[in-house]
Amino acid sequence: MRGIAKSLLTTLSTFTRRPVTREYPDVHRPIPQRDRAFPLLLWDTEIDEPFCTGCHACERACPVECMTVLMKDNPNHTSQGGSSSRRKIIDKFWIDYARCMRCNICVEVCNFDAIAMNNTWQGHELSVYDRSDLVMDLQQLLAQHRAGDIKEWVAQ
Amino acid sequence: MNNELFGFEINVWFDALARVGIIVGFMTVTVMALIYIERKILARFQMRLGPTRTGPRGTLQSVADALKLVGKEDLRPRMADPWTFELAPYVVFVPIFLGFVILPFLLDWHVRILELGLLYFVAVSSVNIVGWVMAGWGSDNRYAMIGGLRAAAQGISYELPLVLALLAAAMLAGSLNLNTIVVAQAHIPYIVWQPLAFFIFFVAALAEMNRPPFDIPVGESEVVGGPFVEYSGIRWSMFFLAEYAALFILALIGASVFLGGWAWPLGEELGRWWQLVLVSAKAGGLIFLVFWVRASVPRLRIDQLMSYSWKVLLPLTFVQIVVNGAVLVYDWPDVVLLATGVVGLGFLFWVTDRAVRRPRPRPALVAQSEAAR
Repeated sequence: MRGIAKSLLTTLSTFTRRPVTREYPDVHRPIPQRDRAFPLLLWDTEIDEPFCTGCHACERACPVECMTVLMKDNPNHTSQGGSSSRRKIIDKFWIDYARCMRCNICVEVCNFDAIAMNNTWQGHELSVYDRSDLVMDLQQLLAQHRAGDIKEWVAQ
Repeated sequence: MNNELFGFEINVWFDALARVGIIVGFMTVTVMALIYIERKILARFQMRLGPTRTGPRGTLQSVADALKLVGKEDLRPRMADPWTFELAPYVVFVPIFLGFVILPFLLDWHVRILELGLLYFVAVSSVNIVGWVMAGWGSDNRYAMIGGLRAAAQGISYELPLVLALLAAAMLAGSLNLNTIVVAQAHIPYIVWQPLAFFIFFVAALAEMNRPPFDIPVGESEVVGGPFVEYSGIRWSMFFLAEYAALFILALIGASVFLGGWAWPLGEELGRWWQLVLVSAKAGGLIFLVFWVRASVPRLRIDQLMSYSWKVLLPLTFVQIVVNGAVLVYDWPDVVLLATGVVGLGFLFWVTDRAVRRPRPRPALVAQSEAAR
């Protein structure tokens, strides 16, 4: 009986406390800066072009081969009368998010700090009806950082 | 052959039909509200939110569930006994439904006040055990069979303390008419004179409704839902309807027999709406107590269940009835009732505590093998 009374009191005390539930789609829990969602390409705002030179380092290092990179001559290079010091620049870039395993190796091998792991909720809420919609092209990969929608730790 | 209903003179058959319709509609709405309230309250006990998505604050959740259940396919196992299987939900549902007839909601609000109302309720409500056994037997499923037999054993053994506890209160009122019992409590409710009977009524009612901690017939971890294993869709929802309707009825019976119904503490002269508030508060308190116990206490084993009913509750109700009889015959003061009730309650708590804390007797085989080692 003492045990029963004690259990009744315990549940009564939990009854008076606030629920701990977060209603997820409405309320997003703040996620840490070093959270690791899918990789993104970064945008060099000073010269207004991507940091990526298309050097294939990440593509070769990728253990699941989810990346496809094509390089081109930079039309904005100083030798062409432009303002950029990059001789080569990224032409086309695809990352298959369905295949990526978020290992962070592409970020570590990048010589230009041109790629980073997304640390926002947009990097997590990616459900689609068709798998092919998860293959991201260059525009999609650059858009989020270009809009300044990434947390500080990644952008540096 | 005319009856009066809401001030209209109508044919008795239409009158009966209208009353049945009102009860069924009222019962369905009540059950859906109760399910929603239970889910919300239970969620708060576990520091969750409960349903929030369907409708404003989740209020339409029960409606959505009901629609889903009605839309589901009504399956019957090939080897099941067709008649027993298909009739079982009705046999569970109809007796509970009949119990609504005698409920004294307010001063003049009732379907029928019978002179032997309490006897009628007790007689009718115990029939639904047959339905549970039918469901268990007809499903051709071993889990269902075990669940049905557990339901029968539990239902029959807790029926006795429940009935005798109600009888103890009825003795004081000197009537089985629920209206008379309520009126007799206009000054002091019977929970004061009969605390022991009230406690026994509450425990036995929990068992009758197969509510935790007495829910072994439907224990998911042991008999995967008991007699309901093979049921789906509308038939399954009828069992559910019956369960929650029983909760509602027993809460109202408890409120009228022990807590004074609409009469205590403000008397008969009070307006109808205040009576409604009183009755709802009392019945609601009892229902909340049921949910609270469900959130707190783990399920009992079948042997514990049986011995608690036969060895503890039943003898104590007999003692209470004998004391009541002596008080009534020899015109002793009512304080004797209060004193014996409190002493009996203390004794009951002591026995329960002792049973809970006593070290479990070890099975002989284990003891032998340990002695050999």
